[in-house]
Amino acid sequence: MSTVVENVKSKSGQETPVTPQYQTEDGQPNLALLEDRTPEAFKATSALTLIVGALGALFVLLNYFPIWHTDIWGHLSYGRLILETGKMPSTEPLMPLAMGVPMIDTAWLSQILGYLTFQQFGTAGIQFLYASAILFVAGSIAISLYARTKQPWVALLAVFFFYWCDYQQLLIVRPQLAGMVCFAAVFMLATAFTWRKWFMVAIPVVFALWANLHGSFIVGLAMLGALTVGRAIDVLRRTRSFKMMLSESRTRQLLFVTELSAAAVLLNPYGIGIYPAVFEISGNPNLQNLIEWDPLTLRMKQGQAAAALFLALVGLYRFSPRRVSAGEVLLLGGLGLGALWTSRLIVWWAPVAAYYFGLHGAAVWRMWMQARPAEPKRGGLYTVSILGMAWIFFAYTPLGGRVLHGATDTPEKEAAQLERSLSRKTPIEAVAYLNENPPQGLVFNSYEWGDYLMWAGPKDMKLFVASHVHLVPEEVWQHYLEISQVASTWSSKLDRYGVNTIVINPQLHKGLATRLDDETETWEKAFESNKTVIFERRKKI
Amino acid sequence: MKKSSQKKTFVIVQIAVLGAFAIALLFSNAQARTALKAKTLGIESFEPVPIPREEPYRVKPLYNRPDIVSDEALAAVLEKIQPRFSPREMKPNHIEHALRTWGVTATFQNPNAVSGQGMLEFLTDHGAYIESWGKEVRPILEEKPTGIRIRWGAETGASYHHDHWLACVTEAGASLNTPVYGPSRRDDTLYDVVQESLRDFRLDEREVEWTAMAFGLWIAPTREWVGSGGREYSFDLIAERLLRGHKNLGVCSGTHRVYSLMLLLRLDEEFDVLTDAMHAKVYAHMENVRDLIIASQFPDGSWPGNWPDGKDAVDNPIEEELYKKIISTGHQLEWLSIAPPALQPPEEQVRKAVDWIVEVTKSQTRAEIKQRFTFFSHVGVALANWRQVHPADFWREWEKTHPYDPAIEDDGSLDTKKTEQANAH
Repeated sequence: MSTVVENVKSKSGQETPVTPQYQTEDGQPNLALLEDRTPEAFKATSALTLIVGALGALFVLLNYFPIWHTDIWGHLSYGRLILETGKMPSTEPLMPLAMGVPMIDTAWLSQILGYLTFQQFGTAGIQFLYASAILFVAGSIAISLYARTKQPWVALLAVFFFYWCDYQQLLIVRPQLAGMVCFAAVFMLATAFTWRKWFMVAIPVVFALWANLHGSFIVGLAMLGALTVGRAIDVLRRTRSFKMMLSESRTRQLLFVTELSAAAVLLNPYGIGIYPAVFEISGNPNLQNLIEWDPLTLRMKQGQAAAALFLALVGLYRFSPRRVSAGEVLLLGGLGLGALWTSRLIVWWAPVAAYYFGLHGAAVWRMWMQARPAEPKRGGLYTVSILGMAWIFFAYTPLGGRVLHGATDTPEKEAAQLERSLSRKTPIEAVAYLNENPPQGLVFNSYEWGDYLMWAGPKDMKLFVASHVHLVPEEVWQHYLEISQVASTWSSKLDRYGVNTIVINPQLHKGLATRLDDETETWEKAFESNKTVIFERRKKI
Repeated sequence: MKKSSQKKTFVIVQIAVLGAFAIALLFSNAQARTALKAKTLGIESFEPVPIPREEPYRVKPLYNRPDIVSDEALAAVLEKIQPRFSPREMKPNHIEHALRTWGVTATFQNPNAVSGQGMLEFLTDHGAYIESWGKEVRPILEEKPTGIRIRWGAETGASYHHDHWLACVTEAGASLNTPVYGPSRRDDTLYDVVQESLRDFRLDEREVEWTAMAFGLWIAPTREWVGSGGREYSFDLIAERLLRGHKNLGVCSGTHRVYSLMLLLRLDEEFDVLTDAMHAKVYAHMENVRDLIIASQFPDGSWPGNWPDGKDAVDNPIEEELYKKIISTGHQLEWLSIAPPALQPPEEQVRKAVDWIVEVTKSQTRAEIKQRFTFFSHVGVALANWRQVHPADFWREWEKTHPYDPAIEDDGSLDTKKTEQANAH
């Protein structure tokens, strides 16, 4: 413990030469003499440290989330194919029943990046990318809210609401996460308090990237459009002048950046063809049978979270002293209605709603407290703490462990680590069986498993469907449903398609598993575990 | 000053953005442009497929074997399957079968038989159709903005199978410019039916046997084409679809699939419509079919409905009605008539099958033939093919020396009232 030694003036008032005491009485360095020489720009605050600590903990936690068993493996398969063949597929290349179906691969860049990451770092790399994407979105909300409100707790509460609403959607590792990163970046720039000139370049650049990472860029364009129209409405309401509306700088900036972003999207391998393609995908009738495309209801956990956030927003709007912009009404209303139409759109509504919750929450809090929030402590020590925490957080991730300590040295450990990093629903056992006993002919599979089977199963295995259901011909998809729901035609459909092997999750397809169990003359159980059952046709077609 | 700068910026941004879109449109591929048109104008994305001929291609039968099918045997069968249809409520399925058997040029001395032109008219002219069915029944010719669609399915007055109408009219030798008069349009032709069929074809619909034939006979040597929704189709894909699944699945105990595959192999020899890999796959499949029918033929010469079971079909015969054997035997003889020698069973088996089917056909009453006309029509085609002669040509010649005899027309089995009722189904 050091003691502060002050310069003392002599009682007579005469100044005596100051001799700094570099050591305390017990011989320790006198810390009071240390001066914070960190440049002002690099000095962090205690509040920021708190935010980084909280987000870092979330980041580490997300790094240990098992990789969801669906989409990612399909995307990695496409990435692998593109790199192996050196070209983009123009028709669906991996599902035999979808041969010839035109394919606009709106996520090609994510797929390649994902595959390269996997090649280099294995599942740890994918987990790191996954956590980083969510961290970016959460961090964007928190940092921009903190920058505007100086209230770290409100910023963290907004992050909590965002994650609560979206966690179900965020469980799935897929290129949409890259889209969310772009969405967060654009949203934060477009709603920044001060418009910087470089936004005019940065936002279109993000869109050029976005159009190659995921088809959700269209949501980003709609968001910019809503902000532009909203701003124009605000100006018109205030000035009652169309002329003013058209000449107001922020309105024009938003309009220009929207237009330039729409043009930047054209920088993709499909050019203008990407526009009709994204509408084609979202309007595909097969998607109606997927839960995540169902309307958002209160029966869903994400629906309950969204309702809570909505009610909180309503309450805040009642008391908030902040002006409510038309842009935020359009965004919240538009994306909210979209989520009611199809719950998948909640991923876009939640960050926006959380952000406005934070803004108005902080305003209400300040009004009630009748004071500005106290200035947080600021100094280089916090910067060092943040850097230290960042390093520790990284070191504790699976990727950090791999980078710092190298990959596991034995195949057994590798396999154990792989199993730990995959969701429990991943058909690892099925793949092991199929690799040892390559199936003949078409394999009927749970669509949720199609991607992993495609990725890790025998190379020439012919699967019925995978999670890219918008590429599956409508009839095939209906037949898939008929079989999996054990409709009256299920058996004849299996015959018609020449299915010789059936790989299903008995918990998800209980009815089918039971019927196949009964059809002992035609089918025999070749493999069974508590999460996998494989049937093989006795007399192959 | 500021205002003019603002205007300049505005104009520059608009030009840049419009320019970018114009360039993108200019350099876009056909697929992108079609998709864009479909989304913005609501126009379905389908470009007509070129049809390189005015008359349909005819896959010629390969054998003239009077020692297997005698003139008398052929004549006896053809006499039985003359298109004796009452003008009221003619079943399109029957007319289609009769037309493909007899062709558009067929004429008969028998006043009860409908000529080839008469049958074609019934199928291609809404006026003729309502004369038979009245106005209460939905038209069989449905006018679409993109062409003429044939109503098919189990409904009254509909063609029974998808593209069966088209395949039969095609096999009957109707030219591409044959007028097709819908309920309100007079300027459509068979071309519009073919294009509509190409547009609404879906690979995994219930049956593709007739689609394969119709497309093959019209658009070969085109190998690949783009259907609605932008899907790239090819004869390889269709062949793969026909190969898929149990052999006994499909209409007429799976024999139409076999016929269509054989036809594709023949078209491939002429036009190279299949890849080499697919040719080999189809050929191997046909060799397997040959082996199965060699093993599954009954001692009397007939083939059972469960012919894909091979030897087991003979060792453990299933109980089935005679007509199922007629279907199987007639259809097997039909595809064999266009199959190369390497895919033939021993000649003796063909001979026995012919003898059996001729005897069975001859023994049928008029009423029985009427009831199972579609199956017996295949027998007529098969036997004529084994003589490398068209049924209409043969019959015309035959009638010169064997004129129509009204005395044998009524064998007493037909009850007019019952016939009309049967026609209604």
